[in-house]
Amino acid sequence: MDSFEYHRPTTREEVSFLLTSTSRAHIVSGSTDLLGEMKQGVVHPESLVSLAGVDGLKDIQSNGNVCILGSMVTLSDIVSNDDLSSSFPALVKAAASVATPQIRSIGTLGGNLCQRPRCWYYRSPLFDCLKKGGEKCFAVGGLDKYHAIIGGDKCWIVHPSDIAVALTALDAKVKIFGPAGCATMKMDDFFVGPGTDIQRENVLGEGEFVSSIEITCEEELSSSTFLKFKERQSMDFALASAAVSISLSGGKISRVGVVLGGIAPIPWRLTEIEEYMLGMTMEDLKRSDELISKVDISLRDARPMSENNTYKIDLAISYLKRALDQVFRDLC
Amino acid sequence: MPENLGWVGSSPPRRDLGDKVTGKAEYAADIGLDGMLYAKVLRSPHPHARILSVDTFEAGKLAGVKAIVTPFDVPDGRVAPDVAILDQKVRFVGDEVAVVAADNPFTADLAVKLIEVSYEILSFSSTTDEALADSAEPIHEGGNLINNAPLIEQRGNIDEGFGEADLIVEESFTTPAHSPAPLEPRTALARWDGSKLTVWKSSRGIHADKIALSQALGLSTESVRVIGPHMGAGYGGKDESRTAVLASILSMRAQAPVRLELSREEEFVAGRRRHSTQTTLRMGLKKDGEITAIHAKTVMDTGAYLSSGPGVARRAGQGALYLYRCPNVRYEGSLVYTNTPTAGSYRALGAPQGHYALECVADLAAESLGIDPLEFRRKNHVGLEGQPGERITPVTEIVDTQPSEGGIPFSSNGLSECLALGAERIGWGKPVDGIHKSSSKSIKRGRGMSMFLYRGGPGGKAHASITLTEDSSYSLATGVMDVGEGSATVLSQIASQVLSTPYDSIDLVMGDTDITPEASITAGSSVTFSSGLAVKRAAEILRDKILNQAAQFLGDCQHALKLRGSGVKSDSGAFISICDLVEHSGAINAEATIVPGSSDYVINSFGAHFVEVEVDVETGKVNISRYVAAHDAGTIINPKMAENQVRGGVSQMMGFTFLEDMETDPNTGIVVNSNFLDHKSPTILDFPDIDVIFADINDPIGPFGAKSLGEPPCIGPAPTITNAIYDAVGVRITDLPITPHRLLAAIKNRKV
Amino acid sequence: MATIEITFTLNGTEHCIEADTRWTLLYLLREEFGLTGTKRGCDMGECGTCTVLLDGLPVNACQVLVASISACRVTTIESLSSDGNLHPLQVAFLENDGGQCGFCTPGFIMSAIPLMEMDTPITRDQISEALGGNLCRCNAYGAILDSVNAALDERFHA
Repeated sequence: MDSFEYHRPTTREEVSFLLTSTSRAHIVSGSTDLLGEMKQGVVHPESLVSLAGVDGLKDIQSNGNVCILGSMVTLSDIVSNDDLSSSFPALVKAAASVATPQIRSIGTLGGNLCQRPRCWYYRSPLFDCLKKGGEKCFAVGGLDKYHAIIGGDKCWIVHPSDIAVALTALDAKVKIFGPAGCATMKMDDFFVGPGTDIQRENVLGEGEFVSSIEITCEEELSSSTFLKFKERQSMDFALASAAVSISLSGGKISRVGVVLGGIAPIPWRLTEIEEYMLGMTMEDLKRSDELISKVDISLRDARPMSENNTYKIDLAISYLKRALDQVFRDLC
Repeated sequence: MPENLGWVGSSPPRRDLGDKVTGKAEYAADIGLDGMLYAKVLRSPHPHARILSVDTFEAGKLAGVKAIVTPFDVPDGRVAPDVAILDQKVRFVGDEVAVVAADNPFTADLAVKLIEVSYEILSFSSTTDEALADSAEPIHEGGNLINNAPLIEQRGNIDEGFGEADLIVEESFTTPAHSPAPLEPRTALARWDGSKLTVWKSSRGIHADKIALSQALGLSTESVRVIGPHMGAGYGGKDESRTAVLASILSMRAQAPVRLELSREEEFVAGRRRHSTQTTLRMGLKKDGEITAIHAKTVMDTGAYLSSGPGVARRAGQGALYLYRCPNVRYEGSLVYTNTPTAGSYRALGAPQGHYALECVADLAAESLGIDPLEFRRKNHVGLEGQPGERITPVTEIVDTQPSEGGIPFSSNGLSECLALGAERIGWGKPVDGIHKSSSKSIKRGRGMSMFLYRGGPGGKAHASITLTEDSSYSLATGVMDVGEGSATVLSQIASQVLSTPYDSIDLVMGDTDITPEASITAGSSVTFSSGLAVKRAAEILRDKILNQAAQFLGDCQHALKLRGSGVKSDSGAFISICDLVEHSGAINAEATIVPGSSDYVINSFGAHFVEVEVDVETGKVNISRYVAAHDAGTIINPKMAENQVRGGVSQMMGFTFLEDMETDPNTGIVVNSNFLDHKSPTILDFPDIDVIFADINDPIGPFGAKSLGEPPCIGPAPTITNAIYDAVGVRITDLPITPHRLLAAIKNRKV
Repeated sequence: MATIEITFTLNGTEHCIEADTRWTLLYLLREEFGLTGTKRGCDMGECGTCTVLLDGLPVNACQVLVASISACRVTTIESLSSDGNLHPLQVAFLENDGGQCGFCTPGFIMSAIPLMEMDTPITRDQISEALGGNLCRCNAYGAILDSVNAALDERFHA
């Protein structure tokens, strides 16, 4: 590891300032992902800017229907929060499925959303891949069993964050802080696919960082879940995952989120299914063959890289059905 | 026999566990010496290349760098027949090129990056098929097929055997190169005191290491001392690498102690891994189920260097040659170099690969004949009388524990007991029922089994030295290492039983070549049997000597005396305490050397595993709902440790069966998953409940009747589970690991 | 080389040190303090061998920069038996054969400490969840679960 300066600012403005004024500065929250990249020689920051000393970033605030989580809230804080468990179970299940207890102790919400891909070509300093500014994607014609089946464009990473999938289904909003002040956007707009920008996974520009996440639930009745398929039962990223969130007003579905993970460079929202479900009652939905048909063809545009990652199609669909079942049972 | 004395058959705590639970147990990287330097290796980024030049000028200028060694300034020694200390050719991505010692690890790391190397790139082979092609670049002189021919072992005439068959079944299989990935990366610390070299290293054979080091460095063995602190396991994989030699040379050049501790990535890539294999196995059968011929052909990828390849190749054939009673058998094992990380010993060597093919074909055979798989094995497994055929080994010579010849009985053979006990425990023949973990319609349940044999314990010559010291305590010196498998405890139990003393009253002298007798490596599941016999013999000799001294003192006949813990008691009631005896006679020592084995019997351990699985046909996930492991390891010296050895071996091989494969990028030869995240070893959440049963067998040769147990549990899981999956969903997986991807594709193809 | 001044508590004693910013907590414990009870298995947070407690929570010491532990409490395996008596977890591991090569043992024990401080009994499955970040390559998982279960049983039924 190369040497670096370590800064511990106390305000968000200071953070932005340090990020923009210091050469090769990198933000650090829980450090679990960044340290790994530094040790592997994938990134070489000259300066680390810690968010740990900034006030207000570690809070979880619940005001009636709105919940605001600071970006420095740890994953274990999310898992142990009873309010979150009852209001937003998808988020808590996603957080509980991440990594290991040790990593959840210090890993943060913001850090989890902004973590870099696990593609083994990206993570190895021996491969100068497109995402790192190099000439090619080594997964093409290489070892591609964990890579994207949809949404790829020259680069075929899958987004590694489980929480991103859950929060997208919950229609969460991301608040960003930067040199120009605050900006709030939908989770969907926070993530960026390789077609837009191959070298990044989200919209954060220089000096910008995630300040908080906001989730609202105004409906009278709602439920959500997150299911993750892993090859081994701990310390594993999703081979495929599914998050479903359904809210009802006046007995009809007024808000719905159906999102797949582990299959694309961004959380993959299934808009067609969501549009179908909106306005229906739970009874109609449970009886609906059309829903099953729509789920079965929801990945018809998938283009697996080879026979090695074709399994992700059936796996994701299977998990989506199970997630829908779970939420249906909870609501009925 | 009093439980709390810790004798044979009881389960006293492991002798070194007290230090392990407090963190006091020292491993090689825990030892710090004054002025110690940290070493770092520069490794090849190319799978196959000649090194034209190495420029260390910039690296050498860095403050804190004390020594650099390159292939151009290294002594002309060898670590193994095909491994130079450093070579001017690199043969896999990760092969050692140069090594640096500096006063802190960050500087060493930086220095390595500053070394400039000029390579002449050669074409590379990343699979055995590529390496065997006519156009393949030779990786070593002599070509890529070791000995230019397969190893062949046979009995009878397979052409005749197949000619007699009513039915022939055949199938081909592949198994992965997975890593033993011991939690402690290999480490060596070297220090010179004048011309005497002391090396502390993570080792399973300090005397073998001493010999290897002295040979490599051109030193007399007297000038080398190897100390083995606690070892964070190796499972066979920590042998003969360059680590200790390079640390020693750096230390000599820098005139300071040098620690070379590999990173995790290096332990994966520059350590050893299991040989990946391709096996085709044919079995000829009569309609009534009798086996007329077995022919197994295995191609093994030994990676860039040979390591223990020949031993692995031999062991891969053992099941085919000896598990089923059959007059006509032939095994052909080919070892092929490739430009990939070196394969070597990993728990049970080639036996898991060989038995996977054999036991899957056995199930296929049973199905083709319409015979229950258990019945097929009951009918055909080799019995106590051994294999049909003529004995070839002269009658006065010790019989191999991995023979191919017939005409020699086993010393003991608990296969039928294991089959019966295991079958009963799992409820073989009854409907697969019980507690359902899930009521989902996507879950299919099935049951499977397999059986196996393995070399039973005789290893190399074993020595033990045991002393009743002047302060009236017992001291046992043995040159073997306890690598976590429990030999320190087991040997204490054996000695203490003979001497009628509590097991932990015996001080152990282990782990230092200066103060222990020569010994073989802790390998091949041989320590309990071989060193156990030596320890038992030495303790018996000591007991005799003690009784002899006591007889003189008491004026009694030695036959009337018994050693009883704190002293010697006569039938007549006379007594002399150990303290008084020692005061009278001084310290008493006894030694024994055993050449373990038998000239009358094949000594093997046996087992049969059974499993119930739940297969989720929508996801390809397999859940182990029940696992039963029945073993014949002779007398069990420490039941609790033995049970944990079995549970551990079975669980470890869930990796081989489902999860683990060191994946090499075909375009660059680079291993992409040399880390604990992507080389997915089982976690505690993957651990199945394993029901362990030991057959009540007492071997006539082994110490107190014991045989080997360390490795056999690793042989069962893969074929047992594969057969159960077939029972559940009707697909026979022939390529490991059984990833969700593979299983889903197989299920889909079968439906179509 | 950049350094930073850090004050923190280690096994109950406060320390003020000047640390190289590159130092991880694991490096600090082993190389600067000589506390080698915490082992290095992978240095990448992927094996749990280096588990220590940071403000009472289990963390991989290799994933924590010393620069970030200002005012924190660090607890290592050495603190458990500093008065000469074994911690109940350590006793349970001894009695239930909870280790083979022993390299993972300190890490498992540290991961299990928070379980001993819970108010209610927990199931074997919950124990597994809590230990999901610790690898044992000897796969002594059965005995490890037996050990932690025994310690918890003793606690709740003693």
